[in-house]
Amino acid sequence: MDRRREIMVGLVVVLGIAVGVVGTIWLQDGWGRDRVSLRAASTSVGQLMEGASVKFRGVAVGRVESVAVVPSGEAVLIDMSVRPDLIIPSDAAVLIAPESMFGDWQAEIIRRGDYDTHPYLEYPGEGVLPAVALPDFSRLTATADEIAQNLTTISERFEVAFTEETAQNLGRAIDNLGEVSDQFSEIIDQQAERFDALAERVDASTQELGAAARAARVSFERVDAIVADGQVQKLFADAGAGVENLRRLTENMDASLTDLQTAARQADATFSRLDALLVALQDEDGSLGRLLADPSLAEGALDAVAQMRDLLLDIQQNPRRYLSFSIF
Amino acid sequence: MPDFVMRPLASAGRGTVKTLSSVGRAWILFAGTAGALRHAGIWGPQLVPQLARIGVASVPIALFIATFTGIVMSLQASYTLTGTIPLYFVGVLVGKTMMLELGPVLTGLTLAGRVGANISAELGTMRVTEQVDALETLAYDPLAYLVVPRVIAGIVMFPIVVLLAMTVGIVSGWFTALQLLDMSSPEFVKGLRLLFEPWDVWFAIIKSISFGAVVTGVGCFYGLQTERGAEGVGRSATQTVVIASMIILCLDAFWAATLL
Repeated sequence: MDRRREIMVGLVVVLGIAVGVVGTIWLQDGWGRDRVSLRAASTSVGQLMEGASVKFRGVAVGRVESVAVVPSGEAVLIDMSVRPDLIIPSDAAVLIAPESMFGDWQAEIIRRGDYDTHPYLEYPGEGVLPAVALPDFSRLTATADEIAQNLTTISERFEVAFTEETAQNLGRAIDNLGEVSDQFSEIIDQQAERFDALAERVDASTQELGAAARAARVSFERVDAIVADGQVQKLFADAGAGVENLRRLTENMDASLTDLQTAARQADATFSRLDALLVALQDEDGSLGRLLADPSLAEGALDAVAQMRDLLLDIQQNPRRYLSFSIF
Repeated sequence: MPDFVMRPLASAGRGTVKTLSSVGRAWILFAGTAGALRHAGIWGPQLVPQLARIGVASVPIALFIATFTGIVMSLQASYTLTGTIPLYFVGVLVGKTMMLELGPVLTGLTLAGRVGANISAELGTMRVTEQVDALETLAYDPLAYLVVPRVIAGIVMFPIVVLLAMTVGIVSGWFTALQLLDMSSPEFVKGLRLLFEPWDVWFAIIKSISFGAVVTGVGCFYGLQTERGAEGVGRSATQTVVIASMIILCLDAFWAATLL
């Protein structure tokens, strides 16, 4: 009975100790694995802590063993243990960033060329990888808070600027804009119609131009034929003769103009005399003036004319009464 | 002085004297037990039976409680975290809670009832039946024969029982997460490992050692103080459970404040 009891006690004790030891090692993710050390340096590590995951291309390959600030305070050294078979890139760097939104951070081994814009810390020492920590979530929150405050300020200013009158003006402006839009739409419609008509006309003109081009081509063909027949020279000769005739005509016209000027001067003199004559008539001067002014003279003249007509009639009827020719 | 004034004063004085007397007797017991450690020939043969009674016999009830605690923890964690926090934090919550708090404290309280009451009743019965006096007559140090093996058994076996309880509680929470919460093992293990620190295990061990000493020590103290027959035995058992549970909770807060 005592022996059995001792075995039971020993079994429970050994089992309990084994469970504690094995469980602790297993939870530390260090069961039966060889590790090699890596060291990185950064100006800050955010919330990276000992035990955080080390990842490469998204796969967990190790853990952070220690995080410590150098005595000078200019850098933070991160010691990591990773799988020994891991081949890291020649330009490897370490990107320290949140693994999720709940406080757990990770150190990810990356190619520096893929994320070259970050301010990596080049810490002296062989094999020390450059590292950089992305902004903490609290920093992002602070930035978001600052943005929110700025938006609040803008909103307040907008409220100050946006009075009832502004709203009414804005409403009117919107209405005007609507009207302008309608008018613009109508104009566009009209212009579209005009463009349609213009297009039709252009089409017709194009067709006419085509016909004209065809006619011109025919004319040019004819011109070519004419040129080829030597008719152009004949035309030029005819034109030269026409020009000569025109020159002669011009000379004749010059002469005629000279004669015309002479005639004009004579007419002018005639009109002057006529004017003097009319003045004399008006002044009842001379025979004709007196004739016009004195009706008895006129009547006498009429009688004389009647007598002359009778005389002439008699002469015509009886020439021999008045005329007698003898040669000898 | 009128009686209505004197009676409360007398009651307060009696309580104070009784408390100080108990504290004094506890210190006397503690000092005597420490002194009795040198009688290894007396307490040595009693150690294994006490290890078996206090430790091995307590494993089933501790694992039973831890199993259902793990299940409940997992379900409540998923109920709390669903929709806002990734489910792998169920693993964080179950692991951390079982290691830091529920494993040691629930096991301690359970064993305060089972072990503490058992020790108190056994020693109280021995006291009222004058077996303790008989030991003294036979030149046996009753502290070395009765108290030291029980206290050592408590200090040794409580951490073992707590480690087993923690493991079973985490495994039951893991199993619950797989079967009832649509979680995968990698998810749960990720949460389990995420914030794990080896110090968490040491913290649980330190707490459970102190709980083991308190439960067995209180049980021995009230058992050896038993008077007035069977009624006194029952009262001693009750006092042991109450006082041990209170001290466990006070120690829990003390260790959390000093070690974390």
